Amino acid sequence: MSTKLNGNRVDVEELIYQSCMLMDEKDFNGFLGLCDDGFEYVLTAYSWEVKKDMIFLDHSKKELKELFDLLPKHNTDRNPLTRNAVVYKVDYDDAKKQANVISTLQVYRTTQDGGRTGLFAVGKYHDTVSLKSGKPTLVKRHVKLDTRDLGCGHHIPF
Amino acid sequence: MSRNSTQWTQKPKLPSTHYSDPVIYSDPEIFEEEKEKIFKKTWLLASHESELPNPYDFRTYDHPGGTKLVIVRGEDMKIRTFINMCPHRGNLLVYEPSGNSKNLVCIFHQWAFNGKGECVDIPREKEGYQDRLCKNDVALREVRTETAFGGFVWVNLDDNCGPLKDYVAGALDYMLPELESEPLETFWYYQATLNTNWKLIHDTNSEFYHDYLHYHNRITGMLDPKSGYWTRRLKAFPNGHAQVGTMQAKYDAYEGGGHSKLGWPHLPDGWKLVDLYPCITLNLRNSVLRIDTYIPISATKMYYEFRALGLKSDTPEIRRQRQKDAAVIWSPWGRNLHEDLIASEGQTIAMAKGSESMYFIAAREEDAGCQDEVALRHYLGEWDKRMGRSHTNPLAKPAARTVAA
Repeated sequence: MSTKLNGNRVDVEELIYQSCMLMDEKDFNGFLGLCDDGFEYVLTAYSWEVKKDMIFLDHSKKELKELFDLLPKHNTDRNPLTRNAVVYKVDYDDAKKQANVISTLQVYRTTQDGGRTGLFAVGKYHDTVSLKSGKPTLVKRHVKLDTRDLGCGHHIPF
Repeated sequence: MSRNSTQWTQKPKLPSTHYSDPVIYSDPEIFEEEKEKIFKKTWLLASHESELPNPYDFRTYDHPGGTKLVIVRGEDMKIRTFINMCPHRGNLLVYEPSGNSKNLVCIFHQWAFNGKGECVDIPREKEGYQDRLCKNDVALREVRTETAFGGFVWVNLDDNCGPLKDYVAGALDYMLPELESEPLETFWYYQATLNTNWKLIHDTNSEFYHDYLHYHNRITGMLDPKSGYWTRRLKAFPNGHAQVGTMQAKYDAYEGGGHSKLGWPHLPDGWKLVDLYPCITLNLRNSVLRIDTYIPISATKMYYEFRALGLKSDTPEIRRQRQKDAAVIWSPWGRNLHEDLIASEGQTIAMAKGSESMYFIAAREEDAGCQDEVALRHYLGEWDKRMGRSHTNPLAKPAARTVAA
């Protein structure tokens, strides 16, 4: 493990946590502001039935913005989501000035009508974080879900 | 003017074929009867051959009639289906949803069965059973199985049922060029637990009037005069099946949709849909074949099974593009699927038993155009025949069943 970049650990963790908070608040522009121009977002779940990774979302930063922009035109579940991430592992790549970060993720859904909270999904974030400038940015987020049964689903990415 | 209770709950002034008593969507006794009279008597799509490509592969299937099944590819490459139950003490034989095993071995007492359902081992057989019981007496219960129409695996619990082809009755003929052009492969299988009645999902798949629910479908089809949306026609087939004609969706109209021009052999940029009674939809749209099947577990709860298929010959790049195309509208984050599912749950919440629900209207007549509700009425008519009840007056004493298996 590099010692040179260890000082960034707190910044890296804050980036992950901030990404969750901004998405919880539906501050999509704020979330995209944390992302590198070449940001890639992929969400997958492994199907034990067919023994394959299923790609459920696969977007560039531009496509993600388009998804967010069109949300008001759709009928959607408006019950808020709460993302709880815990950073488990940060590996530094000195040559690329990047960190590869693994965080566990739980997503809760709270009903507007009655305020009942239930666990919606569990999985992990596999993030690539650029450390080239003073402010870490997300280069790639791969959400690997353990939960596959998501009921009615949701329009907003995790 | 709003209506009082009497007005609200009175039968509509429409032909009795054009509305339903909402109790058919919530009554537990009706649901139990549906298991016996419908699910245990019809051909159901249980898997696809690509989900068990090799000898000794197996795949489980929760049959909507309430029976656990295991589908096995034998060393002779034939696909057979058995009740997933050890004939010794009734334990599940297979716990995993898929796998590979030369023999299915019960974890409880190690009784073992081959791909033909024959018992091949009973530990300490002679010591315990002497000559009173032997392996030949305890084979697995085999279920009628056919692999057809694009490599799908179909099962029927009724030993006396007719052939699958007779049951499908030509409803899949117009999709056959696409289903059988080359081998297919399942790339998505997942389930969604929904708090809704299984028939409400099939109702939704049977009409396109609900495109008012979908911004994506409005912008890419309904509002585009060149799409052929309004010239699509619904066609009913025997046994409750229906199909809708093709159209050219204008995917570019949905900014950020990311739909490719990949298409499908024989259907470069089209859309074909077939609903098979009682709970199967084959939906070929652009580059992806989506298959919907349902496993109802109560009158108001079901597991919705989703499959997406591409071509077995896909390169990794093409397969990724097919997944991307499918994801836009049909993944758990899909723009359309999420909308369909919240609407179906909303119906079940509102029409719950005891809710003073009005009669359910299925009365649109538009020369069998895609927003006609003729397929829905056809579906409910088949329900009447199989159940020996009327969907407009379902709690009357059931008539004798009139439909052959």
